[in-house]
Amino acid sequence: MWAGIYVFRAGALTYFSNTVRGERGMRCSVWFLVAALVGCEPSPGAQVPTVDGEPDTSSASYPVELVDAAGTKHTFEAAPRRIVSLVPSATEALLEMGVANRLVGRTDYDRVPELAGLPSVGGGLQPNLEILVSLDLDLVIRFAGESDLATAERLTALGIPHFAVQPDGIEDVLTIIGNLGRIMGASDAADSMLSEIRGVLTDVARRVAELPEPRVVYILGGDPPWVAGPGTYIDELMTVAGGKNVFDDLGPLYAPVSMEALLARELDLILLSEGLTPPSLLAHVRSAVLPGSVEIPGPGLGRAARDIAVLIHPGAFDPEPR
Amino acid sequence: MKPVTWAVLLGFIVVLVFLLSLGLGSVDLTIGEVYAALRGGGDLSDRQIVVDLRAPRAVMAILVGGGLSIAGAVFQALLRNPLAEPYILGISGGAATGAVIALALGLAASFSWALPAAAFAGALFAIVLVLRVAATADGGVDVRVLLLAGVVVGAYFTACMAFVLSISDARTVRTLVLWMMGSLAGSDWRTVGMVTLYTIPASLALVGLARPLNLLAIGEETAGFLGADVERVKRIAYVLASLLAAAGVAATGVIGFVGLIVPHAVRLMVGSDYRVLLPLSFLTGAVLLTVADIVARTALSPAEVPIGVITTLVGVPLFLLLLRRSVGAGTGIGAGTGSGA
Repeated sequence: MWAGIYVFRAGALTYFSNTVRGERGMRCSVWFLVAALVGCEPSPGAQVPTVDGEPDTSSASYPVELVDAAGTKHTFEAAPRRIVSLVPSATEALLEMGVANRLVGRTDYDRVPELAGLPSVGGGLQPNLEILVSLDLDLVIRFAGESDLATAERLTALGIPHFAVQPDGIEDVLTIIGNLGRIMGASDAADSMLSEIRGVLTDVARRVAELPEPRVVYILGGDPPWVAGPGTYIDELMTVAGGKNVFDDLGPLYAPVSMEALLARELDLILLSEGLTPPSLLAHVRSAVLPGSVEIPGPGLGRAARDIAVLIHPGAFDPEPR
Repeated sequence: MKPVTWAVLLGFIVVLVFLLSLGLGSVDLTIGEVYAALRGGGDLSDRQIVVDLRAPRAVMAILVGGGLSIAGAVFQALLRNPLAEPYILGISGGAATGAVIALALGLAASFSWALPAAAFAGALFAIVLVLRVAATADGGVDVRVLLLAGVVVGAYFTACMAFVLSISDARTVRTLVLWMMGSLAGSDWRTVGMVTLYTIPASLALVGLARPLNLLAIGEETAGFLGADVERVKRIAYVLASLLAAAGVAATGVIGFVGLIVPHAVRLMVGSDYRVLLPLSFLTGAVLLTVADIVARTALSPAEVPIGVITTLVGVPLFLLLLRRSVGAGTGIGAGTGSGA
């Protein structure tokens, strides 16, 4: 009977780990976030090619030297040609850069049709090493952090280069896109992706700037429900979209909260992960279901911010400009 | 069949399933490719798959399967009860809790010996606790109480682990879950080396104790009359069997019921002379866990089934059958209760 609990927890955690992640990481304050949005504050230790600042002209100039989210220094002499990304958001960024032909494997969480024909290496955490080895890779994009130190160690032992990323906050995600662009020799594509995302984020922030801040929660699923706390890109998206995350005091990035806590936080709006229905005790609060793509923080960040902002402040986007 | 014939046959099967587990997995390899990889030739990736990934797993399955089986057989002799087993007695839970705490505190990352040491401490704590609870006034052990205490202590350790999980970082949790359900996926040559270091000497020492264990299985008083230093043998055997269980748990998490299934199967084959039972249990346990690991790796490829799930799915029906049979025979689970009975 105890085993059942762990089966559930294992399943739930795998889900969260592979979609939105769960760990204390770099905390971006709202101030920092806003500063980064207008492009005048360089992110610490990150080599983001900012569009407003000096554009990255090293589009295809190697060697590329980068420090990954695990603090490991990498030197790329040429663009990797056989890649597996264990991180869905990084995978989406790679696809958007137009380097899909260099992806030779996928995880069970990648549902995009472009990758459907590729062999799966299992989940993004504890992937199947046999399959990774058999794919003859020159780069694995993996999650940073302590959840899967074993995989990092074993990839090193097997001589497979691995680049760690940690898509916690918005700025982390933008850093990943910039870094992947440099690694792949696709900085131009990455830069235009970044400028588009920053443009949408700035536009959204401008539209909701003077409006009151409704009290919002983002429920990821689970029972008791898991919510997003500060330091997550979801929290930051809600802030950019002119809402106030009622769980901005959450300790971990993502954590389960009691129904009582949810009731006590006097919600104005409940944002729900794809496929969820609002808790019956909160049926009186306005709620909306967001597309699953919101939980893959990649090139779709701008769209996600707008989706959330339209739900929080419908009036600010009326009539919706395209 | 004679015991020697069984030993040769089982040794042959161990080699067979070992080779099978080198050949089977998520990536299809031909016999020729496996052979080339073993000889240090062939494709680099094939060599890595066979030599660095599959071979340490297969060796680990042999060591842990064998170790848990010997531990189970020894506990059954010490307690004169066929249902005793590291998992049922709460020992695996204690070892896993020790390991999980060492992991959560970050000790395991700093000191390579911390993980097995913590697992061993947890295992010893569990067996001492369970034996204390079940001790009778005259120095014997009430086996009914012992098994019950083992299950309850196991539940307590599960709660301890769940508590450590709920206060530790979300991202470390998944590794810990794998711990509790058992998996050989983390096996590399370093962990194999660690487990070998504990398993082989402890197994050999216990096989060396087979004669006094035979006497103990008859009864402690008889054993004493026949010249065995009962208390000393018991202490050594408890510690060594706990060490075997702890070494297995430290490397592969909790894998239940192996120590129950295997000695029973072996008793059906050769009877209950421990001089024969212990070595054959090692071999049979090696075969069982290697086969279970092949199933764990291939059934849902590329994902894996936790191996503890497989052994428990097979072990519990057998446990219930044995329980029913002992009740049916009118002996009850307390049959063979120690000198206090």
